[in-house]
Parts: sequence; C-alpha cells; structure tokens
Amino acid sequence: MRTGSMQGSRRLFTVLTYFFLIAGSVLMVFPFLWMILTSLKSLGESMQIPPTFFPAVYYFNNFKDALTSLPFGALYINTGIMVFFRVICAIVFSSMAGYAFAKLRFKGKNVLFTLVLIQMMMPSQIFVIPQYEMLAKVGLTESHFALIFPGLVSAFGTFFLRQAYMGIPSEIGEAAYLDGCNQWQTFYKVMLPLTGTSIAALTIFTAVFAYADLMWPLVVNTDINMMTLSSGLATLKGQFMTNYPVLMAGSLFAMVPMLILYLIFQRQFIEGIALTGGK
Amino acid sequence: MSKQKTMVAKQEQRWAWLMVAPTIIGLLVLNYYPLIQTFLLSFSKTKTFGAVEFNGIQNYIDMFQMPEFWKATWNTILFCILTVPVGIALALLVAILLNAKVRFKGGFRAIYFLPMVCAPAAIAMVWRWMFNGEYGIINSILGVNINWLTNPSTAILACAIVAIWSSIGYDAVLLLSGLQNISKSYYEAAHLDGAGPIRQFFSITLPMISPTLFVTLIMRMMASLKVYDLIYMMIDQSNPVIPNVQSLMYLFYREAFVAGNKGFASAIVIWTILLIGIVTVVQFIGQKKWVNYDV
Amino acid sequence: MKNVKRTLTALLAAGMTLSLAACGGGGKADGNLTMQIWDNSQRDAMQALADAYHEKNPDVTIEVQVTSWDEYWTKLEAAAGAGNLPDVFWMHTNYILTYADNGMLADVTDIYDDDTYSHYSEVSIANTMGSDGRMYGIPKDKDIVCLVYNKEMFDAAGVSYPDDTWTWDDLTAASAQIYEKTGKYGYMAYADDQLGYWNFVYQNGGYILNDDKTAAGFDQPATIEAMEFYIGLQDNDWCPDQKYFAETAPGNAFFSEQGAMFLEGTWNLLSEMKNYPDMQGKWDVAVLPKAPNPVSGDGRATISNGLCYSTSAKNQDNAIVMDFLKWLGTEEAQQIHSSYGAAISGYEGCEDEWVAAFDQFDYKLNVQACIDMFDYSVQSVNDATRPVWKSKVTDELLKIYSGELTVTDGLASINNIINTAIADGAAG
Repeated sequence: MRTGSMQGSRRLFTVLTYFFLIAGSVLMVFPFLWMILTSLKSLGESMQIPPTFFPAVYYFNNFKDALTSLPFGALYINTGIMVFFRVICAIVFSSMAGYAFAKLRFKGKNVLFTLVLIQMMMPSQIFVIPQYEMLAKVGLTESHFALIFPGLVSAFGTFFLRQAYMGIPSEIGEAAYLDGCNQWQTFYKVMLPLTGTSIAALTIFTAVFAYADLMWPLVVNTDINMMTLSSGLATLKGQFMTNYPVLMAGSLFAMVPMLILYLIFQRQFIEGIALTGGK
Repeated sequence: MSKQKTMVAKQEQRWAWLMVAPTIIGLLVLNYYPLIQTFLLSFSKTKTFGAVEFNGIQNYIDMFQMPEFWKATWNTILFCILTVPVGIALALLVAILLNAKVRFKGGFRAIYFLPMVCAPAAIAMVWRWMFNGEYGIINSILGVNINWLTNPSTAILACAIVAIWSSIGYDAVLLLSGLQNISKSYYEAAHLDGAGPIRQFFSITLPMISPTLFVTLIMRMMASLKVYDLIYMMIDQSNPVIPNVQSLMYLFYREAFVAGNKGFASAIVIWTILLIGIVTVVQFIGQKKWVNYDV
Repeated sequence: MKNVKRTLTALLAAGMTLSLAACGGGGKADGNLTMQIWDNSQRDAMQALADAYHEKNPDVTIEVQVTSWDEYWTKLEAAAGAGNLPDVFWMHTNYILTYADNGMLADVTDIYDDDTYSHYSEVSIANTMGSDGRMYGIPKDKDIVCLVYNKEMFDAAGVSYPDDTWTWDDLTAASAQIYEKTGKYGYMAYADDQLGYWNFVYQNGGYILNDDKTAAGFDQPATIEAMEFYIGLQDNDWCPDQKYFAETAPGNAFFSEQGAMFLEGTWNLLSEMKNYPDMQGKWDVAVLPKAPNPVSGDGRATISNGLCYSTSAKNQDNAIVMDFLKWLGTEEAQQIHSSYGAAISGYEGCEDEWVAAFDQFDYKLNVQACIDMFDYSVQSVNDATRPVWKSKVTDELLKIYSGELTVTDGLASINNIINTAIADGAAG
C-alpha cells in the first residue's frame, strides 16, 4: 500500500518534471522559430492582423536584402579574429597573473588583487570613449587590433584562474621547485597543465562575451567591412528600421556560425560555463 | 640559510611582479585611467569636444535634484528586483528538474542554454517584434491587446522577461553543476528518515548549493544594476515610455552621447558604481547568515 | 581658493589631452584618403565620385566608409575630441554649427577663385555656414520633404490623388474617407521635426526660431495653431498614435500597406523603389498640402536641408584634401552625384539627372513634384545650441503625445527650453 502510493507520487513527479521541462523548452525555442518564420514572410504579410503563423507565400528576398546590405563574409572573419585573439590574451595573461596571485608571495599582492576585483564592478560603457581616444591618437581605429583592444587583459580571467590555482595543492609546486625547476618552469611545466579544464572554461566564457560585445565595435570600427556580427546587425537595424523580415534574416545569418559551433561543441560549452560559477 | 631564504623570496617576488605586470598594466591603462578620468569629469562642466572646467560638486547637486535621475535609479532597482529573484528561482527550478532522472538531459540543457550563444542584438530584435502591440505574436497568442513596449507599466516588465529568458540557461547550468556535487548519500539518509522531497530541498539541497547560489546571485545582481544594452535595443529614443524604463546606464548614455553632457553623465556613473559597491558589500555581509561553506 | 580651482582645471585639461601632444600632425601627406558617410544607399554614388577623382589623380585613392546615423555622430564627436577626424566627411545642419563654431572644421569659403558658389542656392550655401557666416563645407545636396501616398487606397476610397490644390483640410478629409472605406490608416503624423511638424509650422506662417536665432517661436500664435493641428491629428481614428510609431516606423507601415500617406524626404525615395519592388506602381509622391488659413504667407512651405562635405581644421593647408573637396563642388562631380538618384545635388541644374535616375523603373514616379517645391522651401531649422535642446524638445513633445502635458503647457515648456539653451550658449 505504502509503496504503491510512493510509486504513484513518484510517477506524478516524473510527469510533472517532463511537463515543466518541455513547456520551458517550448518557451526557449519559440523566439528562434518565430525568427525563422518571420524571415520567410514579405513585409506586408508580417504586418497582417491577426498574424499568420506559417508564411502564406515563402519569400526569400529578405535574405537577399540582408546579404546585399552587409558583407557577411568580412563580418564572420572580423568576429573570428576578435574572438580568437581576445581568448588567447585572456588565457596567457590571466594564467600568469592568476598563478602569481594564488601561489607566490610578493609585496602589494593584496592591493593589486583588489584592483582586479574592483574592475569587475565597473560598467563597461565608461571605458568606451577613453579607450577610443587612446586608439585614435595612435591611428589604430578601423583595425582588427581595435576590436581586440579592450580584451587584451581580463580581470575576470585573472580572478577565475587564481581560483583554479588555489585549488591545486602547493606541495606540487614545491616538489617541482626542489627538483630544480625555477619559478617560471614550475608555473609553465608543472602548474599550468593542471588547469586545463579551467582554461577551456575561460575560453568559452571569453568567446561568448566577445561575440556579444556591441557598443565597442560599433564605435571603434565604423567601416562596414571592419565590423563584427553584433555591430553589423545594429547597422542593419539603422537601415531597415522596423522591417522585421529583413532584420530577422540578418539575425539568422549572424547567429548561424555560433550556433553550428555550439551544436558541435555543446557539451564543452555548457560544462565550461558551469565551471565559471566556481565553488 | 636566512640569507639564502631572502634571496629565494626576492627572486619569487621578482617573478610574481613580472607575471602580474601585463594584467596590472593593462587594467591600469584600459580601465583605471578611464575610471579616474570619469571621476574627475564628474566634478567638471564639459563643453563640446573635450574642453573641461572644474565646477566642484555642481553635477552631483544637479543630479540629486533631477527627477529623471531618481526615476532611473528606481527603474534600475526595479529591474533588479524583477529579474534577479525570479530569474534565479526559475533557473534553480530548471536545474533541479534537470538533475532528476530524465531522458534527453543533454538535449534539454542545450535548449535552455541556447540564448547564451546568440548575439544580444538579435535576441532584442526578435523579442521586440514578438512584443509589438499591433502585429506581435504574443498578443495574438494570449488573445490580449497590450502595448507591451509602449505602456509605462509593462515596458520594464517586458525587458525583464527578455533578461530572464536570456540568462536562465546560464544560471541553470551553474546551479546544476552545484547540484551534481551534492553526494547522493545525503538524500538516501534523509529518505530513510522519512523526509519528503520538500523537506529534502530545504534541509539538504538549499544549504548544500548555497555557495553556488551566492556566486550566481552576485553575478546576476551586478549585471542587472549595470543593464544598458538590452533596454537600449528594446526601447527606442522615440518611445514615450523612456522615463519609465531607462536604467541608470541608459540615462548615462543619453546624457553623454545624445545630449553631449559628459561631466553630468560621469556623475551618474560614479553613483552607479557606488550603488553596485554598496549592494555587493551588503551581499557579502549578508551571506554569512545563509551561505553554508562547511560542506 | 581661486588658485585651487585654476590648478584643478589645468590638471584636468592636462589629463584629458595627455597623449595629444604625442601625435601632432592631423592630415596625411600621402594620397590615401578616407571619406566617412552615414547613408548606405549613397555608398555607390560616393564610390563613383572617389573613382572618378582617382582616374584624374591616380596618386589619390579615396576609401568610402559607411556608418549608421547614431553611431556616426558618437564616433565623429569622439574623433573630433581626439583630433582624429576622417579626411573628408559628411556634415549635417543639425551639427555643423557645433563643429564649425568650435573650430573643428576647415574654412572652405575661398576654395574657388571663380563663381562656382553662385551655382548653389542661398539655402544650400546657408546650410554650410558657421555662425560667423563663413562656409565650412562644400554643398553636397539639397533635399525637401514631400507627401507620399498609396494610389490603390485612394482609388478604393474614391478619393482623388493629392495635388497642388490640397490644403490641410483635404488631407484630413481624405484620411477620414480612406479609413472609413478601407480600414487603413490615412495620413500617418508622427513626432518628427523635419519630416513632421516643422513643415506645418512654416506653412502656417509660424517659425521654430526667429530670423536672427535669438528666440524660439513656440509662443507665436501661428506656431501654436500649427502644432495644435499637427499633434491633434493623432486624436483621429485614422491616424496611429505615438505608441504605434515607437514600434513601427511610418515608412514600414506605408510599404506594408497599413496606411495611405506619410511625409518622406527625397533622399529615401530611390531606395524605397528598390527595396519594395512589389510596391512599385502602387504609390506616388506629391507636393505638401498648404495651410488653409495661414497667419502670414501663402500657406506653402517645405523644409529643405542640405548636407556638405567637410574636413578637419587641421587640413586647412592640406593640398590633397582641399583639391578633392574643391572637385566635389564642381558641376562634373555634382552631376555624377545626382545621377545616382539617392540625393539631389546642390548644384543648380543637376535636378534633371536626379529625376532621370528614376527612369530605371517601369513605373514613373512623379518626382518632378519634389523639384517644384524648391521654389518655396525653407531652410532646415538650426542654431548653435540645437544639439543641447534637440533631445529635450523631443522629450517634451513625447510628454504632450502621452497626455502627461497639455499642448499649451508643453509648448510653453519647449519654448522655455530653447530660449534657456540659447541664453546659456550666449553666456559661453
């Protein structure tokens, strides 16, 4: 009797679990579906009352309009370059600093680490104009370097990798040191390889946020061939106003490469991000 | 011996400085120099093209007397209240459901995480379109006629919904990893003691996951208090609802870049940073009461 | 105390311009120039100009860069502050006084030693001037505002098409009729200055700023009457309200056949023909309706704006840039520009090239109507403090539309905002 009711309530729980998960999934996927459906409608049809769900006539001109308005090839390449170098910089510099903050004794450590922490509280909009002025003075706007510039160092990466090094017992480093490794070799040959998963996590975290960065690329690179996917989309909006079918077509073009990468490396993506939550 | 020790310590120190140097120099140039500039600007009257004139705390006096400023502060806090508790509660629910024995766990997880890999500009566009008062699919499905984005009482709610939708997967993934670290043996023991699922949640799950919950909370709070992109892309400058929805950083943007009032805008930023600082400190003090680090 | 203040100011200024000294020279000596513009639909025309000049001067290559409107000005201001303005860039009347009066732009008044400038209208020349009456740009184009209408809706409602006999009363009567017969919106009047109420104010004999730009005109009976009429249009069922326009641009509403009329600038007509091929033949353009009982004047007016090509004050002595600018103002260059159809060249006599650009379509748009309106066009409203009051005025206007302010209070407040800005500007 008792087990029967237990089983019943367990079954109810299972049903409820699936119900909520599926309902939630529908809510998560619907905007993407609507994006696709809208991109296939003519402007006239998209503004019908009540809205049609599936396009009455499949209209592919929106994709043509989006393609002729934005050089997507260049945007893909620029975005790729920006993401790649921001990731490399974040890994190299943050690994070094994170290791020093976690494992080495030096004067000023607390003050300097506080600088790292405080940076994470600042709204990034305040950096835009001063950073722009720095680049403008050396004539480096409208360049790939300009896209990478704000991501040369990463406070979050430093904080995150420090946590990773804190989790590694100091004895490992000390043993290496006794074996005759100098400080650099201890770091580079012994400790660094132990943070592989954290570096993978940082890679994904940095990539996702670089890809989403909007205001900086808009201000620093105004030539349409030097834009990123995000800033290109904003430009498209300036041009087509509220012509949603074209905007949706452009959005799809902008999202596809990241979506494909995501579908291939889905597990790594999610597990990497999970790590950034720390312990 | 002691001499050698100091030698070693000195050498260690030199290496440490060398290793933190790129990051620290980068932060000083990229972030702290702008911060100091902003701080100084907040005490000056700016004219066009960078000419400045020291004017004491006048910007702050003006700011505190400006109704839009207080409204923006309230909007920011309201946005935070709307998004953070609901967002994290929903994310926790999703994480718990995903932690149960379900099929297609990976598939579900991937779906909830989907918004993270999409350009925010694209997300804002499609939601704006769905929320459209005249031709939007949301009104059509719900069978209502709400001007979501142009009605003062719903515009901020609509923005909050998009914010929650965008972040729920990220938060759920963080929380899920916390949940997976909880040993099954706790639940088995509780089960033997006759504790139901609700009691298990409050006596095991919640305390055990509290450190992860705390990290998620802090991250989400900071992001909400700094919100700008999303509202900027959802609400146009020509939308009459702006005063009811603009956040502090949106007000900053409008003052600095539209009205060309950088000194005044800088005062708004300093205020925002203070606000974030205060909230963060309160959080860190408050955590001692509920975050459980012993397990 | 005064010393402290002075020291702090100096310190601040030093901080701001920290690395300015490191890079003194602005203009490039080599032949690679950049040209910054904000309208993608004019990219081809600008590229054609760049190519034509390159052909004559093989040493000089001009790269055209396009940015969207909002970012253009954010960027240009930052660039000006950093002393890094592009070699050649478009200047708009909204901003020219700010840039010119602050010494950012090169003076091009004496660039010609012949009578080239006499081929430009007074309005065109005025649109390039700083407050000191010198010219800070080579006139690029001139535009006016016209009425765009949907022929099918007029036919369906049995209303005759707009023509030069139309008054405001015809506009509202036709709108009501169309709404009643077809359920579509009539004239879509939204909160815009250049493409909205400015036209109505000047038609009615009112003004936004007085002639010597020392006071706002929102306390003038003619201005108030026109504003009341224009804002009141949204009270009709046949006109969408401002909430609608915040979500749907009037042009998109028009080209998705939701409404029968709206005011459009001539610079958009060609791209609208191209972007909405299915709509070709269904719409046309007409002159603006006139005020039925103007307080003064004949009731006719349309806002005419004009852009110009400018360069940084640092390039005042840069022969390469100056020669390119000089060429841009010649008849040859202006004809090339006009023939691309996006904008009407400022050079008088190039209108035909612009009209001819529309021959590429099967349906002949009545663009000649636009040219006819130049006879009574009014220079776009502008003063040195406009960047200060522009967004504030819009905010007040939106408050009127949302009912937060009455029209009377709102207009009084707008008048006050502008006058305060002018007074502050004069005080330095």
